[in-house]
Amino acid sequence: MNLTRRKLIASSLASASMITIGSSSRSLPGFLLQAADSNAKSDESVLVVVQLSGGNDGLNTVVPFTEPVYYNQRPDLAIPKANVLSIDDSLGFHPVMQGFADLMEDDKLAVVQGVGYPNPNRSHFESMDIWHTCRRKSDVREEGWLGNVMTHQIQEGSTDIPGIHLGAEKQPLALASRSLRIASVKSLDQFKLPADSKTLSSVVAKGEGGGNGGLLDFVQSSTQAAIRTSEQLEEIRSGNTSAVTYPNSALAKKLETAAQLIDSPLATRVYYVTIDGFDTHAKQADAHASLLRQVSSSIKAFVDDITHRGHDRRVMVMCFSEFGRRLKENASDGTDHGAAAPMFFAGSRVKAGFHGKHPSLTDLQQGDLKHQFDFRQLYASVLEHWMKWPAADVLGGQFKPLDVFV
Amino acid sequence: MSQKQIDPTWAWQPYAPSADQPWNLRRVAHLYRRLGFGTDWETLNAGLSSTPEQLVNDLVFASPESDSFQSEMKAMSRALVATGNPRDLASAWLYRMINTTNQLQEKTTLFWHGHFATGAQKVQDAFMMQQQNELLRKHALGDFNEMVQDISKDPAMLLYLDSASNRKTHPNENYARELMELFCLGEGNYTEQDIRELAKCFTGWEVRNRRFRFNKYQFDTGSKSFLGTTGEMTGEQAVNHVLNQPTAPVFIAQKLMRFFVMDEPQATAELVAPLALQLRKDNFNVGNTLKTILGSNLFFSDLAIGMKVRSPVELVTTLMRSLNGTSSMDLLASGLHDLGHSIFFPPSVKGWDGGRTWINSSTLLGRANLIHRVLRSENTQFGGGTLAEYTDKHGLSSLTDVADRLIQQLFAVPISNDIRDEIVSSSSEQFSQREEQLRSLIHTFTSIPQFQLS
Repeated sequence: MNLTRRKLIASSLASASMITIGSSSRSLPGFLLQAADSNAKSDESVLVVVQLSGGNDGLNTVVPFTEPVYYNQRPDLAIPKANVLSIDDSLGFHPVMQGFADLMEDDKLAVVQGVGYPNPNRSHFESMDIWHTCRRKSDVREEGWLGNVMTHQIQEGSTDIPGIHLGAEKQPLALASRSLRIASVKSLDQFKLPADSKTLSSVVAKGEGGGNGGLLDFVQSSTQAAIRTSEQLEEIRSGNTSAVTYPNSALAKKLETAAQLIDSPLATRVYYVTIDGFDTHAKQADAHASLLRQVSSSIKAFVDDITHRGHDRRVMVMCFSEFGRRLKENASDGTDHGAAAPMFFAGSRVKAGFHGKHPSLTDLQQGDLKHQFDFRQLYASVLEHWMKWPAADVLGGQFKPLDVFV
Repeated sequence: MSQKQIDPTWAWQPYAPSADQPWNLRRVAHLYRRLGFGTDWETLNAGLSSTPEQLVNDLVFASPESDSFQSEMKAMSRALVATGNPRDLASAWLYRMINTTNQLQEKTTLFWHGHFATGAQKVQDAFMMQQQNELLRKHALGDFNEMVQDISKDPAMLLYLDSASNRKTHPNENYARELMELFCLGEGNYTEQDIRELAKCFTGWEVRNRRFRFNKYQFDTGSKSFLGTTGEMTGEQAVNHVLNQPTAPVFIAQKLMRFFVMDEPQATAELVAPLALQLRKDNFNVGNTLKTILGSNLFFSDLAIGMKVRSPVELVTTLMRSLNGTSSMDLLASGLHDLGHSIFFPPSVKGWDGGRTWINSSTLLGRANLIHRVLRSENTQFGGGTLAEYTDKHGLSSLTDVADRLIQQLFAVPISNDIRDEIVSSSSEQFSQREEQLRSLIHTFTSIPQFQLS
């Protein structure tokens, strides 16, 4: 099924921005901007990070369906041209990604092509750590890019929960901070204090026994944060359900919870969720399709929900993976670790369409796609343009932000 | 004292009691907590009458399982494997951790499970997962070279890393990568080219009918070149070559140090150099090196005591063993899942990062809630009876006495009388019945931040 899309011209790499021809960017009716029904405490922008863990195969996500090289390097795995949800003459989405196609049609999706970093690392853990901290192994890596910046933004004595990680897996390093504790919440229902919370609160407040090399301080501050978060979430636990129907997946549930929390008195500005399973070394076709369907439909439902609740002008979804996968398929009907891959931004205020050109399938680096944008440029965009937070030292250098937001 | 100031020679020399580093209950408890899963009051006190060297030696080399225990465990495994559900294996393993007399072997098996992490959610076969567990136990305190050779042909491992087939024309790189990155050398001590070449050595290694098989028609007989060597290598020879790299014993020593001694700071190559040397000279025998580690100055110093975050497994097993407790293993196993430590189901091939990553708001509440459930379960008993009976038997008449006992047995960091008294009075005020008071006491003590440290 093809989309009808106005033509999008990919600009030169130098300016790295997007030019659209045809209608100008749409503006929302004024009454939606008022967000009259919202009881949110804050008008400040919110970032929702969706991490695809395992190395998402960008080539089968944003399909270059006019490239013969794509088809001859992937005789089994390449997506047939007829099945692609085309966006323009040469690129389209994997057939299951109707949600992303609809978002693109509504000018609510931006695809940044060929994102990576110099000297790419193909270990999951090392590459993900690089994305999380903007540092390589040889550097000190105690704080994440978001944890570090949030630490500088939060005022002394503030009781707001700065960020929330929704999920049962261990907290992503991106949120780690020497002093701030980001809440990890598996589900609102399970986030209840233990029976005898008064005594616990009192003992923790005493804050005894510090100076244990930081470990005890860490556990103490974490316990305090847990108690505080539970108290704040107590008010939100009931009611506030979505009018939008979310698909039935773990990722969708997490995003639904995020929408509830965004539409609440919480002043939290960063939400982080992950979905695992992208490490498709074998039998990729079905597994990858299932994952892409989840990502696409969940993010679409989330954007619809946020819009319905009146917060779409201030919420942005950022979707990334620690690397892409190799152009040539392997002998197990799968693909191995690669390098550059696309990033996605979803929301009412993206500059919709493609940013940058599709990476070359012939000018490769050790068999993998070369990157054209450093991921830290996108972090710079997010921090400075979207969150209005100075990136300062966290990026580890000067990186020219891309113009991806309106 | 930062790690830079720790003298590597001093660190690994045998600890000898002195006036400011006395051999006391605190150190005995520390040894039992780290070497195994804690122990009860009587055993702790008995430990004091041995010298540190004798005690470590006994625990490392002279604590075999009885034949009857081993038969019991075999029968239990067979029954659970028959159900076909890998989740049941976790319950059996918890039982073993709590009841085995060979605590170090079991603790080290847990360490290897995190090191050679293999997830049942993908393998989906209780028989293969149990076989792997037995393999890890067999080699736990033995020769690491043999462990690696055997694990490279373990069906569960190969399946987990998509290496159930490995064809000559398109070698599967996954096992080659993880062998070097996660199992033997550490990230950055090889190149992508090394991975591609090493992958050729494993061609023809297959799993058929849940067993390893060498398919000679798929084996690449050509020359391979990696990590500084070139030649027509078999997979076994390739594994040996990886293990002969200078970084291998350093990498393993660093991991052992982190698991048994301290979560942070990260063990430097300089600090573990004496251990790495011992591993290399000793044909990579893990038990001997663990004896060095567990009897060392560093291990018994304040740089190590209380300097690890208790893993969820240690949380529940230590509580049980310290108070001669029994409970539903299924209850404990399902609780572990909520705390991020689902044994047989590691989150990835990297296992569990441990340390601070065990702690976040969700897991902290989860820990408190799990212990709450365990204390209230009808399957839970202490010394075969109620908490009230257990504390009476031990001559602990007041709640303060019980609190003091808990502090001595379970806590690695000091607890002030102020905190102790607050918890005692809150338990006695909220509940009138002794059993409820005791449950509340234990629950609160295990919820405070200090309890999370071992």
